[in-house]
Amino acid sequence: MIKFSKFSLDNGLRVLVHEDRSTPLVAMNLLYNVGSRDEDPSKTGLAHLFEHLMFGGTPEIPDFDTPLQLAGGENNAFTNSDITNFYITVPADNIETAFWLESDRMNCLDFSKKSLEAQKNVVVEEFNQRYLNYPYGDSILYLKPLAYKIHPYRWTTIGMDPSHIRSATLSSVRDFFYSHYAPNNAILTLVGKITPQRALKLAEKWFGNIECRNIAKRQLPAEPEQTEERIRVVERDVSASAIYKAWHITAARKEGFYPCDLITDILAGGESGRLSVKLIKRKKLFSEIDAFITADIDPGLLILHGKLMKEADLPEANNSINEVIDELKNKYVPAREMEKVKNKYESSVIYENTSILNKAMNLAYFEHLGNPDLINYEADLYRKTDKHMVIETARKYLTISNCSTLYYKSKRKER
Amino acid sequence: MSERRQMGKPLIRPVNTGIIPEPVLIFLKNGIPVYLIDSGTEDIERIEFTFGAGNVFEDKPLLSSTTNLMLTEGTEKYKSNRINNLLDTWSAFYHPFTERDRAGIVIYFMNRHIEKILDIAGEIIFHPVFPDAELKLLMKKRYRKFLVEEDKVYRLAANQFFESIFGNQHPYGRQTLPEDFGNLDSTLLRDFHASFYRPENMAIFVSGKIHNDISFLLNKYFGEIFVPPAPAKKSALFLSRQKERFIHIEKKGALQSAIRIGSPSINKRHEDYQGLKVLNVILGGYFGSRLMKNIREDKGYTYGISSSVISLNLTGFTSISTEVSNKFTQNAIDEIYKEIKRLQSESVNKEELSVVRNYMLGELVRMFDGPFASAESFRSAWEFGFDNSYYRRFADRIKSIESDELKTLTQKYYNIDDLYEVTAG
Repeated sequence: MIKFSKFSLDNGLRVLVHEDRSTPLVAMNLLYNVGSRDEDPSKTGLAHLFEHLMFGGTPEIPDFDTPLQLAGGENNAFTNSDITNFYITVPADNIETAFWLESDRMNCLDFSKKSLEAQKNVVVEEFNQRYLNYPYGDSILYLKPLAYKIHPYRWTTIGMDPSHIRSATLSSVRDFFYSHYAPNNAILTLVGKITPQRALKLAEKWFGNIECRNIAKRQLPAEPEQTEERIRVVERDVSASAIYKAWHITAARKEGFYPCDLITDILAGGESGRLSVKLIKRKKLFSEIDAFITADIDPGLLILHGKLMKEADLPEANNSINEVIDELKNKYVPAREMEKVKNKYESSVIYENTSILNKAMNLAYFEHLGNPDLINYEADLYRKTDKHMVIETARKYLTISNCSTLYYKSKRKER
Repeated sequence: MSERRQMGKPLIRPVNTGIIPEPVLIFLKNGIPVYLIDSGTEDIERIEFTFGAGNVFEDKPLLSSTTNLMLTEGTEKYKSNRINNLLDTWSAFYHPFTERDRAGIVIYFMNRHIEKILDIAGEIIFHPVFPDAELKLLMKKRYRKFLVEEDKVYRLAANQFFESIFGNQHPYGRQTLPEDFGNLDSTLLRDFHASFYRPENMAIFVSGKIHNDISFLLNKYFGEIFVPPAPAKKSALFLSRQKERFIHIEKKGALQSAIRIGSPSINKRHEDYQGLKVLNVILGGYFGSRLMKNIREDKGYTYGISSSVISLNLTGFTSISTEVSNKFTQNAIDEIYKEIKRLQSESVNKEELSVVRNYMLGELVRMFDGPFASAESFRSAWEFGFDNSYYRRFADRIKSIESDELKTLTQKYYNIDDLYEVTAG
């Protein structure tokens, strides 16, 4: 049981605290309610570029990292389609330094031309390193716009194209800050050796005087229902062909979400997952195969992907995946298998909870979804998922007409 | 904002690493040492079985890692599918590992499943049968993964770097070739297993909220195994750095080039090692390092650059690694040498040294935050014959090292004429 206290400051900042006396550290997580879905289609990648700029210093504190390192702390951040998330772990004695730093860069940023130009280069190199110059790295850049036609999830957080990042200007960056970075658009969590009283006192002291800001109202176009199968073929100089399939599913933690998550475990959880047993071990069609849900706040995707053995061909591999999916739609999952995937979920939650940083991140995320108590009772929702819900969910979402398939074809001859 | 300035800034207190306790050591009936780190808030345990069975002991590439990966592919009692199903059903997380010196398995499991987990771990470790069909499939899968890896400039540069600094005969340096994937058979694996997965070559580390009956249970599943002693096997191969220090590997169509610069070096047993670790942090071991500040934050040549000092049983090495846009490869290399030369000629100032000291002390606290991190940290000192006093000495060294010592260390361990430079792209 993770006991937490929740407060709201007058400026709208929400603060959640879980005291854990088993550690000498405190983890601080600051979630901003802004992600790549909030970007202009002609300026994609800005939310993530902005995350980089948050380390560029302020008029008060020109160098963000140094004081934190001096305090024995460590920090990083990530951006996804929905949120931008900053986190710090620091010895408990020095937690006030973390408050001082995080509040200062929420208050005001130093938008310098030099820092923007350097970070544009850094992010373009990140684009190259992780997506363009990495085997199969660009597959997601094709899969997303195949699955989404309207909704901003059609682009990846890194951006549609490096040219968008290169063309970011100081004024677009400044606008972005003032319309998304604000106490009333953020959630602060603290987990570790700190009392709720002290956390609240420090939050009021450092964040309390930052003004509430006007946040652009989010009006995102809903993705129209997909009515026919979509297929795209790309050819690349890679060692083996691969296949990527995406089905539209429900939004995070909405009805049908838990069965979808368990379906990915039934299909691809561990060495005993169905796809691994049937398509890697028995049919020897794939060398690796995996499935996951994107867990986005707007309706997301269930993605299944695998790399083929050299002898296998793409249509055959695709058919074999569809057979495994059909079995899921036609036959109830046996009780033992249901038990197996639920047990696995349970132990992964317990394992996650051994880290104060994970707890701080999860608490912020669940609060963002509107229900922080989920951190304690979500396990029950997985427990309650039964074979009927799984079969209904599979029948509802895992249809051909709801599916986008990317054939990632190897054009290389085996040496 | 003047209002904020008036509030001043919080006082930073010296980072206190606290007491780093030693694990409890017990011995099983057959002499296997077991280290217990009993703490934690959740009903979950981590158990590591480690053997002197790493790459260094193999006379053919892939032999040690394949032996390790095949442990779950069938035992005297269970078939492969059954083992995987049982591990998943009891919600265990199973991580096989093969390092240069050691190999073994780590399992995270819920306390209530302890007996079943230990039973199956005993099977996996001492009674694998290495069936041919599973071996064939595993090698096919590994070959596919190998081909994907060979498309990464990072991997190409790393492989060549190790060959250059350790030689193409020694397992620390030898590169894996496509034909190696067809050169193993179950007899070789059985022999390797029989030689190295032995009670006298083994240690166990248990951490987490440890089960009350741990000693009884470990004795039941691991303490009754007695095998006739075998002569210790040692590698007859020698480390030898290669003559050519500059190598470029061409990768057609690459957008970025990977750079590796470094040399063979000392390991944890050497008196300079802890000082060298501090130097490494200043050079490229944290976000505020010289290399990050210059090559990423100032020049924007790369998404990231880092340096490391790694300790192996027979030796150690230093390495600087990054991936940069092709057009900046030479600029980045020049800047790397410039930063090394600066550390050889100019003293690190007090402020920077104090940032690094506190950052590293904070890292030490994080390395012992919770039972699992503590177990990993202890293990990496233990394999060099130390206990946690290694870290207590390290904390003292971090606090006491001075600027002129860092300068001397850079001259000694980053001599430009000793450094190897590998690029791929």
